[in-house]
Amino acid sequence: MTRYGMVIDLDRCTGCRACMVACKVENNTPVANLWMYVFRFEEGTYPDVRVNFMPRPCMHCDNAPCVKVCPVGARFKRADGLVATDYERCIGCRYCEVACPYGVNFFNWKEPAKSQYLDGKDATVASVTGGAVPPYDNPDLDAPYGTERRRIAGGGQLKGVVEKCTFCVQRVEAGRLPACVTSCPVQALVFGDLDDPKSAASQRLESKRSFRLLEELGTRPRVHYVGGRPPTAESRQIEAVRAKV
Amino acid sequence: MSSIRLGRRTLLKAAGASGGAVAAAGLAGDPLATLVRAEVPAAVPTDELVPTLCWIGKQDCGILARKVNGRVVSLWGNPAHPRNNGTLCPKGVGQITALYDPHRLRSPLVRTNAKGVAGEWRPAGWDEALGMIAARITDVRARDKRLLIWQKGRSKAEAIYDTAFVNAIGATKIGHGAYCSDAGYRAAEYTLGPQGVLHPDFRNTRYVLAWGWNVTNAGGNKLCWITWPQQLAAARERGLRVVAIDPRLRGAGSFADEWVPIRPGTDLALALGFSHVLVKDGTIDKEYLTRYTNAPFLVKADGTFLRASGKEQVWDKARGAPAAFDAAADPMLEGQYVSGGEAVRPAYQAFADHLASYAPEAVATITGVPAEQIARIARELAANAEIGSTKLVDGLRLPYRPVSAMAYHMSQQELGFQALRAMIGVFMLLGAVEAVGGVRVDATYNVHGNFKALDEVKIKDPPYDPLLRASRYFPINSVSPSVLARTMLDPGRYGVDHVPEVLILHMANPLLAFGSQRLMKDGYAKFKFVAVIDPWLSETADLIADVVLPAATMEKYEGPVGATDFYTNATALRTPIMQPLFGSRGEVDIYLDLAEKAGVLFGAGGFLDELNKALGLKAPYVLDTSARPEVRDLFDRWAKSQGLAEGIAKFEKEGVWVRGAYPAKTYYGYAHTPPFDGIRHRLYGESLLRYQRDMRAKGADEAYWRDYTPLPTWRRPTMDGSPPDYDLTLISFKLIEFKQSRTSFFPLVGELAPRQRLEINPRTARAKGIADGDDVWVESHHALTGQTQRVKVQARLVEGIRPDVVGMPHHYGTWTHPLAKGQGPAAAELFFGGEGYITNTADQSFQVKVRVTKA
Repeated sequence: MTRYGMVIDLDRCTGCRACMVACKVENNTPVANLWMYVFRFEEGTYPDVRVNFMPRPCMHCDNAPCVKVCPVGARFKRADGLVATDYERCIGCRYCEVACPYGVNFFNWKEPAKSQYLDGKDATVASVTGGAVPPYDNPDLDAPYGTERRRIAGGGQLKGVVEKCTFCVQRVEAGRLPACVTSCPVQALVFGDLDDPKSAASQRLESKRSFRLLEELGTRPRVHYVGGRPPTAESRQIEAVRAKV
Repeated sequence: MSSIRLGRRTLLKAAGASGGAVAAAGLAGDPLATLVRAEVPAAVPTDELVPTLCWIGKQDCGILARKVNGRVVSLWGNPAHPRNNGTLCPKGVGQITALYDPHRLRSPLVRTNAKGVAGEWRPAGWDEALGMIAARITDVRARDKRLLIWQKGRSKAEAIYDTAFVNAIGATKIGHGAYCSDAGYRAAEYTLGPQGVLHPDFRNTRYVLAWGWNVTNAGGNKLCWITWPQQLAAARERGLRVVAIDPRLRGAGSFADEWVPIRPGTDLALALGFSHVLVKDGTIDKEYLTRYTNAPFLVKADGTFLRASGKEQVWDKARGAPAAFDAAADPMLEGQYVSGGEAVRPAYQAFADHLASYAPEAVATITGVPAEQIARIARELAANAEIGSTKLVDGLRLPYRPVSAMAYHMSQQELGFQALRAMIGVFMLLGAVEAVGGVRVDATYNVHGNFKALDEVKIKDPPYDPLLRASRYFPINSVSPSVLARTMLDPGRYGVDHVPEVLILHMANPLLAFGSQRLMKDGYAKFKFVAVIDPWLSETADLIADVVLPAATMEKYEGPVGATDFYTNATALRTPIMQPLFGSRGEVDIYLDLAEKAGVLFGAGGFLDELNKALGLKAPYVLDTSARPEVRDLFDRWAKSQGLAEGIAKFEKEGVWVRGAYPAKTYYGYAHTPPFDGIRHRLYGESLLRYQRDMRAKGADEAYWRDYTPLPTWRRPTMDGSPPDYDLTLISFKLIEFKQSRTSFFPLVGELAPRQRLEINPRTARAKGIADGDDVWVESHHALTGQTQRVKVQARLVEGIRPDVVGMPHHYGTWTHPLAKGQGPAAAELFFGGEGYITNTADQSFQVKVRVTKA
């Protein structure tokens, strides 16, 4: 059966962060909630220096700590490999945020109208958007998804819930690739059925040596990295995005 | 939409109360039904992809705007567009926030206060604002057309704006290249013929000098970003080696196989060092140099070519005597000869002799690059060049030299023009110019008019025009706004006899772009009338505009623009994704309006007539020069004149017109008949020496003529004359999140890089007591005038920068947009314009000595 995963080719990533922006537009995530994050690392001392880039979405772990700790079953693992959050069930306890070793969960602190990037209520903007917040509000995010028919798509819709990367479930269920994958200028992100050895993702995974982040924790991430090398204790983050809420 | 969202809290509570049964959705009459968007009745539900082009960068990537019920909800790369292949960079995606930015201009504005300080404005109707500008155009045209300047920020719709409109109103045109890459353009045009700088034949190259190439952030020859990284990534998977020559590693990032942290401003010397090794080792392409360059031309002791009957002579080995270059059977590249009692030597020999003082050891002391590394890289170039090898391409057997360089922005230094000549020289020695896998200048090989024009400049006596064209100061001239600012401030000093009065500023923000900000502000304040066309109130407009017209962003027809990835022949057109917002208008409309009001729309020589010529409109699609066309109709006529039967619908449907791959016979200069269209590349720049002599004869100071040398010659840059306590060299760079000064306030990308910074090596920072995140003062010093400028900025410690160098990105320093407040200063506040800080071709240098102290 189809079980999705992502393969990230570090030999290709230029660290441009287009994936971060594409994610935000597609999923309407609030200010400062960066479901996709691209690390820019530096190692060594002058002149023996290396620069590396590493995109980090939710790992959609097969053995996801966040699913285990959710007291209300809002965070759940789908049969197709996606780890989803049911916003109708989430009580905002943030246990998932604490349990996750990858730091990919974001708590919505504000009402949608106060957490978005533009003033959607501006009269001129509203005259063409109908007052949508944000003005580029993605209508696909309102529908229920999956066999469970739960509301798991997009972000920023409710104050007081925890959100994270959904692998763009609204796109995947419509047969499209996640927004980050589609936008990546250098095809560093490959998404697909890792159970199918012929999928582009499986082929890329097989092409080079691979690793997964914090594999030793037994989380069994569905995000694999090929090329490059894992960050180490020597890796220093440069150009960090410390977005203000 | 919003009503659904607003109701959700209530719905959630309802759902909780009823046991959280989302499955209830769909029950008739249940409020939860509204949760399912598909069940919300819409008048005419639509979900479509509308093609357009990115308008931020210069490569105009293809975009498909997703419109749901008429509202744009996202921007996706157009898979059919060769330049971006269905992808977008961060600003390409994030510009949706620019489209809906409530801080865009909302109407034409007319200034109500004095210029030079923050503008106070009254909203005006289009008719009034256009009328005010047209009146000024009409007035100044009647008196003296030379007093009218049109300046642009980016290259869009060149045929319509730069050519047709400028011709119709008789304005002098200024671009932005003089602060970007124009010195490199001039070097390539003069030396090789085509217009551009240098890029690799990526599909075939094996070894690339990423010379100042900010691979991961910006640039590359002629394109702003996506295309080159895509080709680089693919080439690396085939085994390409990347040698990054840059004081800063971050640009090449993880793509650098080797980092050469060169001292800023010394690239010319490094190139000559490479050439020294190639010449010494004899790893040169003699056939190319002999047949396709002026390397065999005999140079007399006075530096000029030996001529007979007007023809350059070479030393014919067979005859043991000089012969016309096109008649000799066996021209010599090396040796010293005597002709008519006069010592002569081939230009190649002159170059070889010149290179004697550029041995790796000597170059190491100039550049800070170890001698062994210089020699090794030169030898790696030679080994990878496989001089003498050929490759079959499209059935043609062509020279194969898979070594190359990307060197687009290398020209932003005081020796820029000659530094690029020196770099080109390396690849001329290797025979890698326009060979398969070698260095290229443009998408196809075409000899630009400047190959001849830059060789035949007639230097005039004063009076000069305010841009000092054909002057004793800048005979080769990239038309620099900072030169204009200087001559406007002091026309007498430069023998300028007229000072422009009216400026039309098209999507340009020179106060933030050029050094120095003070010079630009003072100089441009001399314009009696300034009209600005821009979607936002730019900083330049804030201080010096009289009238501002709001331009549309993606809501307009504009073009045509190139769409080639440098292997594919393609053309694109920007098509509107919606009606112009905020009362703005597309620029083509604005220029039609202006031309009409200024009385230059109709008739012979009018805008419509010029449009017919510039767009190449053919019968039956030629515009009636007595009737104003709709903009869409104008482009429809253009498309049909190009042979597209479906006209503009092609672009409205697909966004781009891909005509197919360039065949090798038009692509490679070598494959032309005759090769390189019969020109000889100029290893030796005889005319540069002629200019030097003319300049001296006309009384120009040494500062102007000293770099007009037939062979690139190293000297210490002017900035080195600053006192030793200005111990660091400031360089500038670009970020992938932003383009020019018009994106840092886009909220989605502004969030990613919200603050200006000074990059400094930790070793240097420690010595100065500076920690990461500290505020520091950066003070620049003008080595000739002693003037200083300083800004306060946050320090960021990075190992990937030379300890004697600090770096600051451009893009920041805007103040008119509320979202840009607090982002920090513009890099342009620290650089200088004018003598000592521009090239001999009037191009801006972004290098200056600074001192950094903890604030």
